[in-house]
Amino acid sequence: MSETTFMGVEREKIDWKPTIDYAKCDYCMECVKFCPHKVFEVRENEAIKLVVKNPNNCVVFCRACSKTCGPDALSFPDKNETTQKIKQIRKEMEGNG
Amino acid sequence: MVERYAILPCNGIDKKAGRLSGEIAISICEKCGSGEKPGGGSEILCPVFYRVSDKKYNATAAENPLIVIDGCPTRCASKLAAEKGLKISKKINVTEEARDKNFELEAGLRISEGDKRFCDKVASDALENAPKNEGGTGAAEFDIEFDYETYNKDKFIFRLPKNPGFLFNENDCWAYVVGNRARIGVTDFVQKSLSDILYFFPPDIGARIDQFGEAGSVESAKAVVELISPVSGKVAAINAALEQNPEFINENPYEKGWIAEIELADLESDRELLIGYEKYFEIMKKKVDEFHV
Repeated sequence: MSETTFMGVEREKIDWKPTIDYAKCDYCMECVKFCPHKVFEVRENEAIKLVVKNPNNCVVFCRACSKTCGPDALSFPDKNETTQKIKQIRKEMEGNG
Repeated sequence: MVERYAILPCNGIDKKAGRLSGEIAISICEKCGSGEKPGGGSEILCPVFYRVSDKKYNATAAENPLIVIDGCPTRCASKLAAEKGLKISKKINVTEEARDKNFELEAGLRISEGDKRFCDKVASDALENAPKNEGGTGAAEFDIEFDYETYNKDKFIFRLPKNPGFLFNENDCWAYVVGNRARIGVTDFVQKSLSDILYFFPPDIGARIDQFGEAGSVESAKAVVELISPVSGKVAAINAALEQNPEFINENPYEKGWIAEIELADLESDRELLIGYEKYFEIMKKKVDEFHV
């Protein structure tokens, strides 16, 4: 099971997930083998053999799978923007609380 | 001059010496520079409030050199510091200072101009020989042994330091703040999940790191894990011993397994997305339970 909140903010409100650049991806599947959170899914019989199936399983601010990617096909959102967004949501939550 | 201290005066209101302890505290604060500047701004700890609530002052008292100001030989402020388990960097005793400086403490409780000049002199003298906690070139002094809470799961023991200077992010990394520097590293959850750490890739000294930016990584036979920095700032030092002995991280990731020292850029802002040991301990327990299922 994955975390459902990050710093008190619902995980689904935080945009943090890998994006696959299919022009670069060579389907080596190293990222799939690496990620213990089942973010990726392999689709052997389809043209696009790798998808980001569970983006909300991705650990916020973790970029570790991109290190396993030889062709550098994985990218993540800008972490400063994400940080600011989380702070903003927390402020709104305080306001509503 | 911008220095930062935690200042605990006895603030005894029924004696002249006690009244002056508060005045000296204010004087030290004023001489330390503005709290608006990064790294500047000392904080006065109210002994009355501190006695009824730890929460407000514990972090300040742990992260900064502590100056304790007692009015009289009853030493109420020193005793309070001892009760709270605080390490005292500098002690001032107003009665002794008055005797040494041939200053007569008058009977009334009002503070005169003469009293103010005396307090100003005591504050200046104290700052001259108080332990400095300046950023930049000088290395901060970090404790090397901590008190731990533990969580046992099967044969594994997960430790977490309880000391108030520790801050954590939900990415299983810690920062231990002293003055305007912080040591950072990974928690027991990371090192135990990785098993034997074989390689250590430090961040570059001098590199600027954002909060949640990468500050080096560690690698075991299982995986590579990056240290997601809890704090923003400039890398001031790395733990060079880890290059030869990455296993120090397995032995104790909070003590000899620390990763880097960061000169803090904006701790107050970083704090918004950090948690203390109690909250992280609950998160770590949950992760341990899920990891081992």
